[in-house]
Amino acid sequence: METLAIFYTLAALVILCSLMVITLRNAVTSAVFLIADLFLLAALYAQMGADFIAGIQVLVYAGAIVVLFLFVIMLLNYTPGHREEQGEGGHLERAFGAGLLALVAGLSVVLACSSKFSLVLPHAFPFADSGDNTYQLGVALFEKYLWPFELSSLLILLAIVASIFIAKKKPPYEGKRQ
Amino acid sequence: MGLDQGPWLMPLAISIVKFMVLFVVLLQLPPILIWLERRAPALMQRRRGPNRVGLFKWRLWGLLQTLADAIKLIFKEESVPASAHKLLFQLAPVLGLIPALLVMASIPLGPDLLIAGQRISLNIVRLNIGFLFILAISSIAVYSVTLSGWASNNKFALLGSMRASAQMISYEISLGLSLVPMVLIYGSFDLYDIVNGQVQLWAWGIFLAPLSFVLFLICMFAETNRAPFDLAEGESELVAGFHVEFGSTKFALFYLSEYINMFALSLLCAIFFFGGWQIPFVSHEQLQQLLASQNLASLCGLAVLLIKAAFFMWLYIWVRWTIPRFRYDQLMTLGWKFMLPLGLVNVMVTALVLTTRF
Repeated sequence: METLAIFYTLAALVILCSLMVITLRNAVTSAVFLIADLFLLAALYAQMGADFIAGIQVLVYAGAIVVLFLFVIMLLNYTPGHREEQGEGGHLERAFGAGLLALVAGLSVVLACSSKFSLVLPHAFPFADSGDNTYQLGVALFEKYLWPFELSSLLILLAIVASIFIAKKKPPYEGKRQ
Repeated sequence: MGLDQGPWLMPLAISIVKFMVLFVVLLQLPPILIWLERRAPALMQRRRGPNRVGLFKWRLWGLLQTLADAIKLIFKEESVPASAHKLLFQLAPVLGLIPALLVMASIPLGPDLLIAGQRISLNIVRLNIGFLFILAISSIAVYSVTLSGWASNNKFALLGSMRASAQMISYEISLGLSLVPMVLIYGSFDLYDIVNGQVQLWAWGIFLAPLSFVLFLICMFAETNRAPFDLAEGESELVAGFHVEFGSTKFALFYLSEYINMFALSLLCAIFFFGGWQIPFVSHEQLQQLLASQNLASLCGLAVLLIKAAFFMWLYIWVRWTIPRFRYDQLMTLGWKFMLPLGLVNVMVTALVLTTRF
């Protein structure tokens, strides 16, 4: 009973924060709500018994990625009011957005109602009941899912190399100082 | 509702009492440290330092100077710059204090106490991801710096906050990497297990992983934005960095969270590398028999841990008045091109040694 109450409170807060992220005009306050959003998601993971994933969620997403978002926002010096000048898009775009939202909402409701996705989440995480789920997760990642795990790390390495290549300065032209 | 309603009420009450005690103790930290930070360099530079403010005819080595400073700070007018972002300007100092307190809450300070049949642990929450929780929460502390600089709408504040947050996220990685070998060696994220693995003197972290200790020590200074890495507030170029526009209690909150962070990192250094509350050659059980009381032995452990942490607090001040400030590019080069590869190699070598030994 208590776990359900905590779950619904957290879920409501996540939805509220997500709405604030997409509706606020000021990009920095949006980012602040995004931090709160990711933090609350970590709380949801922790409530499911996935302590390790909750820790990593805060460490990586709330702690590192949004900092980079904030950096970009601050460096671009985005000011609210900029958007009005550009216009908000015609009816077609709005209809498309509304349709997409309805589709996602409908899909989530269908998924939530189907029997495979239980509404009582504390048992959604497969290792929740074992005490040391960090260890369990490690065993799963490095034994059962070793190849997918290693391949995904290769994928990330590829992305890093590609982004460095794109961001790299062009070598200065020989003989001409710029 | 009676007092014994449900199994969660009593632990909750104990936690609240423990947190209040911890908070009150932590509030006493900055005044003493600021006093030390002004008297110690005076000693090093052969001058007197603040030695006047005392009680009636007793000067008390100027100890009450910081009390006077605190009263001054609290009663100053709260000013918010007209062009500042009002909400974030108010929020930023608080965002710095919350992670600092959360980190303190999860650090064990000693072996358990036994009071009226209740086993009372000397920390507020015991998490099986202890070390990861500390890393995760301290990564949140960056936002206080970033947002305070942006919300002030002042170019010096913004530059200072950019420097500080870039520095903090760069060194955070090395900090985490320097502690990974400790987790590998002691086989747990839980700080209790890590301390219990260091009963023997030779099993202390500093002997098993000296390189980790060096990396951690450097990151300790960088993470708290202290000299020689205090570029965030380089007063000759940036006035005071991200907290230029803050005054009164908000400024005091920045100081409070800085000192709590320093204290937390000193405690972690003692826990990871210097055996926590373990006394060399005397195990906790032997101490219990010697003193014929578990509580006394636990308090001894607490005192030992605090002494070890106090040494690192002193080191912070010592280094600040000994080593000059780095240049910004030197700081980034050290962080990314030296510390990070070294940390990775350290993890690999430790893992290799551990797998070949068993």
